[in-house]
Amino acid sequence: MNASKTLEKTLVASPERKLEADADLAVVRRVQAGDVAAFDRLISKYRERVVGIVYNMTSNREDAADLAQDAFIKAFQSIHRFQGQASFFTWLYRIAINSTLSHLRKNRLRAFFSLEAIREDDPVSKEVVDALTDRTGVGRDAFVRELQEKLNDAMQKLSINHRTVVTLFEIDGLSHQEIAEVMSCSVGTVRSRLHYAKQLLQAELQPYLPK
Amino acid sequence: MNLPEKPKVTLEDLLRLKRAERPAADFWVKFDAEIRAKQLSAIMSRPWWHSLSRGFAFLGRHQLPIGAAAALALAWVGVQYVAVPAAPQHPLRVAARAVPTRTARPAPAALAVAKPSELPVEEASVARVAPAPKAIVAATASHLVSAPADLPAAAPAPRSPFSDGIAVTLADYRTSAPVNARAASFGTDSEFEMSAPRPPVADPLAQMDPAQERRSRLLDSGLPSSRTLVSDWIRTRASSDDRMYESMDHASSDHLLTGIRF
Repeated sequence: MNASKTLEKTLVASPERKLEADADLAVVRRVQAGDVAAFDRLISKYRERVVGIVYNMTSNREDAADLAQDAFIKAFQSIHRFQGQASFFTWLYRIAINSTLSHLRKNRLRAFFSLEAIREDDPVSKEVVDALTDRTGVGRDAFVRELQEKLNDAMQKLSINHRTVVTLFEIDGLSHQEIAEVMSCSVGTVRSRLHYAKQLLQAELQPYLPK
Repeated sequence: MNLPEKPKVTLEDLLRLKRAERPAADFWVKFDAEIRAKQLSAIMSRPWWHSLSRGFAFLGRHQLPIGAAAALALAWVGVQYVAVPAAPQHPLRVAARAVPTRTARPAPAALAVAKPSELPVEEASVARVAPAPKAIVAATASHLVSAPADLPAAAPAPRSPFSDGIAVTLADYRTSAPVNARAASFGTDSEFEMSAPRPPVADPLAQMDPAQERRSRLLDSGLPSSRTLVSDWIRTRASSDDRMYESMDHASSDHLLTGIRF
């Protein structure tokens, strides 16, 4: 079964994603017809998700910005080749992840971390932090900072492919099939990598996981 | 009194913290400015093959109708090529056209068969002035009658600097050596020999004047020629040397001089 049919099944199973893909395709057709400004809508729509994926893979804010911009520019330059067989979202993700993987392989021995602050106005993150510490004020901020560094250390100890699978599934919320489409591998490979990556992360983050 | 139990934190909850790592608002302002500059740069510096790849993408989208149209066009061109073959350029006609004749002698068969209107100006005038009977033409240029009689006239060759140069050279050659130039218009040497005006053959004996011959003979006997003088001098010198050697031999025999010879 080829990649486009796999994606088609995913889209049929998710009507919202299908509507989103159709809306993106209409914008892409406008860009292909010469309306360059229409591409700004796609940038505004996907910039946070693309930057988030690249950031969680590199743990570097500046690299994430550069790689996300390059991914958008590559997509813009190659937009005439986009035929609509896959969704624009999947196509853009594939470009961004391939650029990030290439960057990580080139700079395997050079890793500088520059982390974003965790915004505690998010209810989920506030709930998790509350569950982990009773501290308040400066002590709470220091704990959150330490937890963030531990999370990034654990992520960086994963291989590039395992880190990508964890990022796409746990952080960005893609399905197994979508990850398989983006990474050009089978769904079984995605599940296997995800299982192995979670085992490693569990071992690394054991002190923060009360029994 | 029981304290409320804290919710159990899982690995998924910890990873969900990563979603809350979001950049500040100024990050997006800078991001938008940079990506706009990169986008503008990409638009301005599109490589030359970008249009080609766009064209190929168009071909890829419409490959079936374009392929069918291309096959149809090829078939049409092939049919046209087979139905209307190009007029063959007979070598005889080309040679006759390259070297036109000035004389009014019987023209080669190719020139005679061709209509005057199809020939160049000079050839057409020759053909009008001296319409050769077919029998004479066949007899005089039998080695040239390999051209078919119904050969269509070839289209005039396009002018080029080389052809102009050749024409000028040929004209100069005719002007400077008209007799030799005629040789180029004949097929064989024997034909040229028969047609070329020959100078009268002069017999050297017939050209001799008997009175002059007699005068020279008399003068030879009366006045010694230089050849005679030299031979006489050599002969005299040899006899004088012999006489000197003989005298010296006599002297040696008289024991006056011994072993002196030159």
